[in-house]
Amino acid sequence: MKSGKVLLIIPAYNEAKSIESVVNNIIQNYPQYDYLIINDGSRDNTAEICERNHYNYVSLPLNLGIGGAVQTGYLYALKNNYSIAIQIDGDGQHDIQYVEKIIEPLLKGEADIAIGSRFITKEGFQSSVSRRLGIQILSKLILLVCFKNVKDVTSGFRAVNQRFIKIYAENYPNDYPEPEAIVIALVHGGKIKEIPVVMLERENGTSSINFWKSIYYMIKVTLAIVVSRISFGVRRGKKI
Amino acid sequence: MIPSTLRTSLICILIGYFIFILIFLKKKAISLKYTLLWLFAGFCMGIMVIWPQVLTWIIRIIGIESNMNGLFVLAIGFLMAILMSITSIVSRQSEKIKSLVQHIAMLEKRIRELENDHGVES
Repeated sequence: MKSGKVLLIIPAYNEAKSIESVVNNIIQNYPQYDYLIINDGSRDNTAEICERNHYNYVSLPLNLGIGGAVQTGYLYALKNNYSIAIQIDGDGQHDIQYVEKIIEPLLKGEADIAIGSRFITKEGFQSSVSRRLGIQILSKLILLVCFKNVKDVTSGFRAVNQRFIKIYAENYPNDYPEPEAIVIALVHGGKIKEIPVVMLERENGTSSINFWKSIYYMIKVTLAIVVSRISFGVRRGKKI
Repeated sequence: MIPSTLRTSLICILIGYFIFILIFLKKKAISLKYTLLWLFAGFCMGIMVIWPQVLTWIIRIIGIESNMNGLFVLAIGFLMAILMSITSIVSRQSEKIKSLVQHIAMLEKRIRELENDHGVES
């Protein structure tokens, strides 16, 4: 096992088709980063592919969902003393070349959390109109309850420093975790910075969210944001 | 107010209920912690059967005119409380399971790596 400083956390649920190209790209072109694949109880042969290629992976015996999988990555990062952990999707949406840009503010100590954002330069894959509207609503909601403007609240391309590796290892939301994780970071006084990135369309498969799910998604995430804000009510009013 | 035949049969049912709980307890099919909830429910039912005036008193306080409606409201309220506590138990357990799954997976990874290092055939 390498003992680098930066860990790429790659949650993978049924990503047999794309995981090899994603991970081989990291191994060949970005050997300066360590990586950990979290096979989230996949029903396809993701685990066998990892084993066959001798990837660095953990295999969850049950499907925990994205939140539980990502949290496993943070637990691993905590145990192995990584100073930066960065989440990457296993489906090839996130271009590893941006990792350097995203971790830069963390290395300089300018931020605790850096989020790769689609909506700053508005280049590349921008997602559908309705989805952008949903993202904007959640973004405004977070602005309202936490006084912090984060544009791409659903981006799963994000880096956190050691302090937040520990916080996320202890407390990370289960399903649809991205916006809620931002609120958790903010109520802990974390400094968030958005870095413009260009995201690609996923290589294989479609987004897991359809129409009815998106309504459920909005209600659930709105509630989650409000609740996680209220549970830290003691810190209310403190400008973060 | 409650006819004595109904009262007798209710008491019999209640005794059966308690025996049922005791059997479950003896078999360790329910842990004592969660049985307390059901024992408490049985206790309340017992009071209402033995002293029905307690029931009418509570129902009047709430402001319900009909005894039967009042009984239903109380019963539904009680069931909701029990369901709520069960939801909370389930949630806590799923958190624990999540944590277990994560730690098992990490241990599995360590074992796998140790075996590879020492050339153990798996």
